[in-house]
Amino acid sequence: MTAVRRSLVAVGGLVLAYAVIGALGDADVKAGALFFLAGVLVAHDGLLLPLTIVAGVILRRYAPPRLRPALQAALVVSLAVTVVAFPLVLGRGRSADNPSLLPLHYGRGLLAIYAIIWSAALATVATRSWRERRRRPQPPPG
Amino acid sequence: MVRDPDTEVTVNRAAGQVKRAVAWLRQPLPAPPESLRRGPFERGAFDSKLRSPRLTSLLGLGLAVAFTVCFATGLLSHFIQHPPFWFWWPSRPVGLYRVTQGVHVATGLASVPLLGAKLWSVYPRLFAWPPARDLAQAIERASIALLVAAALFQLVSGILNISRWYAPMPFFFTAGHYWSAWLAIGALLVHVGVKLPIIRAALTRAAPDRTAPGALSRRGLLLTIGAAAGVITLSTAGQTVAPLAPISLLAPRRPRTGPQHLPVNKTAAGAGVRDALFDPAYRLTIAGPARTASLSLADLTALPQHTVVLPISCVEGWSSTATWTGVRLRDLVALAGVDPDDAEAYVESLESHGRYRATTVPPPHTRDPFTLIALRLGGEPLHPDHGYPARLIAPNRPGVLQTKWVGRITVRSAS
Repeated sequence: MTAVRRSLVAVGGLVLAYAVIGALGDADVKAGALFFLAGVLVAHDGLLLPLTIVAGVILRRYAPPRLRPALQAALVVSLAVTVVAFPLVLGRGRSADNPSLLPLHYGRGLLAIYAIIWSAALATVATRSWRERRRRPQPPPG
Repeated sequence: MVRDPDTEVTVNRAAGQVKRAVAWLRQPLPAPPESLRRGPFERGAFDSKLRSPRLTSLLGLGLAVAFTVCFATGLLSHFIQHPPFWFWWPSRPVGLYRVTQGVHVATGLASVPLLGAKLWSVYPRLFAWPPARDLAQAIERASIALLVAAALFQLVSGILNISRWYAPMPFFFTAGHYWSAWLAIGALLVHVGVKLPIIRAALTRAAPDRTAPGALSRRGLLLTIGAAAGVITLSTAGQTVAPLAPISLLAPRRPRTGPQHLPVNKTAAGAGVRDALFDPAYRLTIAGPARTASLSLADLTALPQHTVVLPISCVEGWSSTATWTGVRLRDLVALAGVDPDDAEAYVESLESHGRYRATTVPPPHTRDPFTLIALRLGGEPLHPDHGYPARLIAPNRPGVLQTKWVGRITVRSAS
């Protein structure tokens, strides 16, 4: 290991120790933070990511090859936007006496964003096949 | 150089101990039975040609930059709210905090697709066989689990916070987000240190893209991740960049939506101060070391009034500019018999409890003529939810420190 690597690992280790000691000494953190830390890891690695991979496998098996990359891309963008939008759409943070909080109709907003993403994906496919058709030599008439 | 034989022996002994510890860590662990190698552990269980050290390194580089930006801006916000003795924060430019905190939230949100793609690209390594060759590798893998958990913790808790959904978080958000940030940065440094040769090779040497023609290529995936980050940014940034508000369909706030066209975080009812606000006996107490003044709303209105245009910048990333009218804090400080150029003020709300019921205004902000005890917003008396009868508004400060429903100001000399 070079000096650079060794010092990165050493400094990182010290920062980790600082985080652990600091969290243990902070009455506001509580054991709940540890549950949450483990929970997000299990939920992502054990549920969200496998489901995404399965969706990719299904797409690869059933979607026509010509459409595949565009559909994959649209799926990835939709998924990322959904992660951000999910708690907004659910709207649990709303409060009766504060209408300035979460003032929009987020479900409708998310649907509009999906529409934009998938139209863009389909437009990409259409443009590409139109270009390919133009590039290909025309068969002789008759 | 004088050689001390005792020191030399101690050094040699310590070096020997380190060597032995390393050897112990490097001792091979027994391999688990091959019959357990099923499902995702099987060789070739993951077959995407898109995965490569180069893809992972490029995504990792993007994430490292994003997390560093979030860590720096987040730490800054923490220090402004809990200043250590050496920390100094200016009152100008008035919108600096608005920018740093807006960048903090926007960068965190844009990291969502980056982190997702990065973790996808290395997912097969979670099922490496054998799970650990030796103790050293087991520790390294545990540090990666910590890095992944802390990174997910930061993004998920941040998203829950801006959508004000606290039930899934069994801890105080600010404290958890703060300590988990140190965890993420520490684990990130260790990770970069361990993987540096792989990263360097992947980023300096050209690696051919092995994806089949017609399939989603490496460049295609990177563009997709960029597009996802762009869509997320455009659909949320309108909460602080007002011109984007009409297209920001997922903005948790709108800069012009709320009483008097300004969003509210804590309402008067929520703070339990509704009765105290409209009490005719309301007095603003200004306490100095030499004398104490007690001012009714009419007294405050009779003092010289000033109008400033200042943003409210929330830690949650939204911000909105408004026109405030009221009395300069420095004039009130002078009323208490303290030199306003060298003073700090402890401003207390009428709230009887709550984490943010009081705040200390440091000397640069106390001195600043833009810092007001505001009585009016946009020309009208303050709405109860905006802090009627009087609130603090200072340049370049987080919204939680702009105390509403001010009842008492304690002034002391800073030197």
